[in-house]
Amino acid sequence: MVSATKQVPEPADGPPGTAPETAARLDRPETAGPADGQPEAAATEAAAPEGQAAPSSPRGQTPLFRARIWTRRARIVTARVARLVRTGASRILPATRYLLRAVHRRWRRSLQFRTVLTTLMLAIGSFAVVGAYLSNQIANNLFQERLAQAESETRYNVKQVQDTFDGAQVTDQSSVITLVYDTLNAVEGRGSVIQRRYVFEAMPEQTKPRNRWVESRASDQLTISVIPPELRKAVQDSGKDQFWASTEFPVGTEDRPGIAVGNKVTFNGTVYELYLIYDLNTAQKTLDEIQNVLLAGAAALALMIGAVAWYVTRNVVSPVSHAAVVSEKLAAGQLQERMVVKGEDEVARLGASFNHMAASLQEQITQLATLSQMQQRFVSDVSHELRTPLTTVRMAAEVLYDARDDFDPINKRSAELLYNQVERFQSLLADLLEISRFDAGVAMLDAEPTDIVQLVSHVIEGVAPVAAEYGSEVTLNAPAGSIIVEMDDRRIDRILRNLVLNALEHGEGRPVNISVAANDTAVAVAVRDHGIGMTAAEAARVFDRFWRADPARARTTGGSGLGLSIATEDTKLHNGWLQAWGEKGRGSNFRLTLPLRQGDTITRSPLQLEPADVGPAGAVRERTMLLLETAVTEARSAPSGPDATKEQP
Amino acid sequence: MKARILVVDDDEALAEMIGIVLRNDGFDPVFCADGGQALEVFRSSKPDLVLLDLMLPGIDGIEVCRQIRGESDVPIVMLTAKSDTSDVVRGLESGADDYVPKPFKPAELVARVRARLRPGDQKAPETLRIADVTIDVAGHVVSRNSERISLTPLEFDLLVALARKPWQVFTRELLLEQVWGYRHAADTRLVNVHVQRLRSKIERDPEAPEVVLTVRGVGYKAGS
Repeated sequence: MVSATKQVPEPADGPPGTAPETAARLDRPETAGPADGQPEAAATEAAAPEGQAAPSSPRGQTPLFRARIWTRRARIVTARVARLVRTGASRILPATRYLLRAVHRRWRRSLQFRTVLTTLMLAIGSFAVVGAYLSNQIANNLFQERLAQAESETRYNVKQVQDTFDGAQVTDQSSVITLVYDTLNAVEGRGSVIQRRYVFEAMPEQTKPRNRWVESRASDQLTISVIPPELRKAVQDSGKDQFWASTEFPVGTEDRPGIAVGNKVTFNGTVYELYLIYDLNTAQKTLDEIQNVLLAGAAALALMIGAVAWYVTRNVVSPVSHAAVVSEKLAAGQLQERMVVKGEDEVARLGASFNHMAASLQEQITQLATLSQMQQRFVSDVSHELRTPLTTVRMAAEVLYDARDDFDPINKRSAELLYNQVERFQSLLADLLEISRFDAGVAMLDAEPTDIVQLVSHVIEGVAPVAAEYGSEVTLNAPAGSIIVEMDDRRIDRILRNLVLNALEHGEGRPVNISVAANDTAVAVAVRDHGIGMTAAEAARVFDRFWRADPARARTTGGSGLGLSIATEDTKLHNGWLQAWGEKGRGSNFRLTLPLRQGDTITRSPLQLEPADVGPAGAVRERTMLLLETAVTEARSAPSGPDATKEQP
Repeated sequence: MKARILVVDDDEALAEMIGIVLRNDGFDPVFCADGGQALEVFRSSKPDLVLLDLMLPGIDGIEVCRQIRGESDVPIVMLTAKSDTSDVVRGLESGADDYVPKPFKPAELVARVRARLRPGDQKAPETLRIADVTIDVAGHVVSRNSERISLTPLEFDLLVALARKPWQVFTRELLLEQVWGYRHAADTRLVNVHVQRLRSKIERDPEAPEVVLTVRGVGYKAGS
């Protein structure tokens, strides 16, 4: 991690340069340095492990010790995090997940939260970049300053040492040692604080080892090992040049960052390497302090920016959320709700146009409501106005009909026709009024818990005369003796009566089977006939208003063509399903499914729509049904439904 | 003796037709075409039953019903063109015993009239009790602690039907058959409304009935 750099271009001549010269030379790279820029320094750092004293930017050292500190910090943090994760993972994980989910929910739901968080993130990111740049610059400058000082001091001291050595009287070894040591100790500087430390080492591979009276010497406990080998090599290989390198040296128990500056001195024919080591500890401390201040400043600034963002977004978002609240109220039917409009800014414009929209919406809805009320009034009035004369006509027709035996054949037949057609007219009018009540949305469900099996029995009793007329037998299959269903019995009675009458009408005199079954949530009544049946296309249209399977076919029971439409509406009112299955020549099956309790949703019908006595292959091909509600999935699984009840043969 | 029936209807053709049918079946119809005069005609003619159209010029049928009920227990049968829940229930609550929805058949109308005119004076002397209420069937008197409670004939019939078989739960259909005389399923709201009216007269606290109890999902029974 150390790169020694050659300080100055080496002059060809051997004699050591004078001090002013050296100083002048020193200045040059200093002033030229900053132009090299930061990226090169980083590149130097990256290339550093190669360790060669390649001439490059003199500032390569700066990131080195900081990187080392950061690495150490990172290692500590990693260790702590790892321990936390290991010990508390099981307990913290659910809480963290909950927290994350809460934050995620906030993120999705709150524009303000999202804006503030984004602003904070961006601010912190920018601070990190700016902070890194600033602290890098400061560190660089601090280092450069210290380096310049170290180099000039070294030059001066080395010169002093060399001068002392040159002028020394070499007599005996002990006086020489004392001289050398005194000279070197003087290098450390005066006062209680050591200004610089030295390492004094004889160059290896000297020709005259016996003349070496002084081997090596160093301040404190330092050894030659604190000097990076690259630096030593550079010093050894060169002539009289001065080199430097970053290093680390022990003081007491800690390792301190430092700059080692090396040169050669000659004493009594022996060449020594002299390294002076300058402590960078104070610079490092200053840097640390500056970084702490930067960090604290950034944190405070980030908080302030967060607060500002919160305030600003609150100002912008609060009208928007006000608008959201107001529009929710509008949607819920509180049409008189309006936004508060202040000023003339964009928000005020939004409020004004929102209010305008709400006003026109309210106007339209009121208009529609008025129209609907008028429609209802109309239906009600028509009902009354038509029914009163119809009652008179009907009574008169019946009086005539009762007395028809006294008439001549022409009048008798006329009385019969009049009576029958008045009846038909009456039922048509009743159905029309019923449908228009559904269309006007005034049909209300009057649901009460009632036994549907009993109701079906009533219906069967009621249609007995019609069944006898057609010669059909109506059978009931209700394994559960009684099923209490929350329903409007008048409407269900009407639906079932209609289904059974239809079955009789199209049943060709064959039996009509009625099945009743329930599961946990729903009850189903299926009315199956074995008559002419119907095709897929017919089954799809069977609930349409005024639709007839065969227009040419005589309508014997005098239905209005609205019966199944009314049944559909009645079923919808119960949140139920009314579905039809048919196959040409094999009869048809109508299934009514109702929820046991109003408000429940039906998941599947207790009875299958497609009768069990129909071959599955053919049945699937020919099967037709009409789904009134979103019953697609249920209906598809119906034929193989496990709880499907087998119908009576 | 012919039973006299007051027909309150503004539609002259219908009133005349109803008159023909009623006369044909041996009743004595009296007519009134205006709601405002209905009470006067009622007082002067003293009918045995009132057939009342709900929609009338002047005072509307519901108000007329309330006025008549205010001074008499005479059976009232409404003629309604609307089968909307609210109108029927409002009519029944204002005191009508039964209703016939237009357009009706002559036989239907006559059946309803006959059912309400059933003579109650052939009943054998009989005293019934429900909770702390005593019913003198022959004397047509209902009392609690020798304090007389005034009931209309229909309400009286309803109470007697329940009191005669205190062990039985009556479905609404059964009550419609026994008390109103319907042979086929009819509007069960008739029962609901009249049970409410009956309770408001004989119960100490109509919210917590002791005489006529509701059996949820089935019907009603007499209290013990």
